[in-house]
Amino acid sequence: MSIIDLTSMGEPQSDLRKELNDRLTKLQDEISDYCFQCAKCTSGCESHKLLELEPHKIVALLKRGLLNELVNSDVIWTCMTCLKCRERCPQRVAPVEILFALKNMAVASGKQIPGKYTGMLQSILSMGLIQDIQQTTTRTNKTLKRDELGLPPLSKPIDVVKFQAGIMKIAMEKV
Amino acid sequence: MKKKYSLFPGCLMPTEQYAYELSIRETLPLLGVELVDVEGFSCCGEPMKSVNQLLTVYLSARNLAIAEKHHLDVFAPCAMCHLALTECQHILEENPAMKERINGMLAAEGLQYTVKRQVVHTVDLLYDQVGIEKIKEHVKKPLNGLKIAAHYGCHIIRPSEIGRPDDSENPQKIEAILKVLGAEPVNYPQKLDCCGAPLLANLPESALTKTGQKLQAIQEQGIQGMVDVCPWCHKMFDSRQTKAGETVAAKLDVPVLYLTQLLGLAMGISGEKLGLELNLSPVEKLQLGDVK
Ligand code: SF4
Ligand code: SF4
Ligand code: SF4
Ligand code: SF4
Repeated sequence: MSIIDLTSMGEPQSDLRKELNDRLTKLQDEISDYCFQCAKCTSGCESHKLLELEPHKIVALLKRGLLNELVNSDVIWTCMTCLKCRERCPQRVAPVEILFALKNMAVASGKQIPGKYTGMLQSILSMGLIQDIQQTTTRTNKTLKRDELGLPPLSKPIDVVKFQAGIMKIAMEKV
Repeated sequence: MKKKYSLFPGCLMPTEQYAYELSIRETLPLLGVELVDVEGFSCCGEPMKSVNQLLTVYLSARNLAIAEKHHLDVFAPCAMCHLALTECQHILEENPAMKERINGMLAAEGLQYTVKRQVVHTVDLLYDQVGIEKIKEHVKKPLNGLKIAAHYGCHIIRPSEIGRPDDSENPQKIEAILKVLGAEPVNYPQKLDCCGAPLLANLPESALTKTGQKLQAIQEQGIQGMVDVCPWCHKMFDSRQTKAGETVAAKLDVPVLYLTQLLGLAMGISGEKLGLELNLSPVEKLQLGDVK
């Protein structure tokens, strides 16, 4: 199994896209009812100054139905997922959750996944964790691994084939 | 009464942030917490939330189902793991259709999620389960008024609607623990600022800038050191401190320790056993016991 199965398979991905589309449409309806563009989300946004993310504008664009523009923009990938916008929105709108749905949609639409996400996903599929045991360097420049520090064996899926079979259902499942 | 938890290590702590695991395994059993190692856990799924949220829920449910099979509650020392597991419980409890769907997938490994077990993080485990009084009894080497900044991490205090280990806008449990260890917790305006770690995957420069900005603010306020309670936060503030300094054009030298390391030192445990040799920030500046 590879990342292809999970992120860009023809048929099942169209199901996933449909599911995400339904979710975004539902969010869009809710937003139209509740978000009054007070921009409180943006004033506390951790990515605002640094990366020019403006969550209230994301919400406004979704409200206007500009789904494709949002899905194809790089700005949705600048969110630090600090959850402040969800916590502080007086109308319980949660821009961070909209951003997650938009990123999922971008991936399901076959857009290239940025950065190390692909590598992490591949590692999860092959051994259950985002990375295997790493060597660390001490203050005195020695290199050490977990067993040399007296730590017990790493907990990870015992039967990788069965583990993958479970995940595979996400790629294959009909909604 | 002795408290018993399965230790859910996640990915980052057991594969590179060994100091957190060492200091947890040294301190908590002495405070009456039994940690059980369980085979077969996987990633909690949190890093995959931007890629496929169903995968996140599935992976969290899988880990909760493994703990359930062993009739154990869960201790997740990673802030992101704790959020993923708690959010998964929330989703499955609120949405029976989703629970059925996830259980259908879990059957591939002979697993089922049926009951909501307790999921704790380091902060509430120490403050609410062990308790300040019990910690006090074990302090042998008080920290002599060391001025320390607490970094909670976004994911253990938000979103409050699903229940988090501390208050979303004014968390105070780490400060209470620091006080009983003899340190002086310092209030600082940047306390709730993010470490930047979630951007490591795709915008590493920006991630490190965030880290650098927070450390620089702490340094400029003359605070002696910082404690954190998450392997991702610590990877940023301690392991990558030099690089973070470069992004803000500053020479950073802020000692950063895991809360459990500072706790262990105050309990009289040696720096070596607590993995202090693995901290790359200048922890020697704090002149604690045998720390060089
Ligand atoms: S999402 Fe909430 S905080 Fe942001 S503009 Fe709309 S109502 Fe205000
Ligand atoms: S979760 Fe994302 S969008 Fe919301 S405040 Fe934080 S960085 Fe900004
Ligand atoms: S948050 Fe990260 S470190 Fe924690 S288990 Fe999940 S993937 Fe691993
Ligand atoms: S501070 Fe960073 S790693 Fe820590 S919880 Fe927040 S985002 Fe996560």
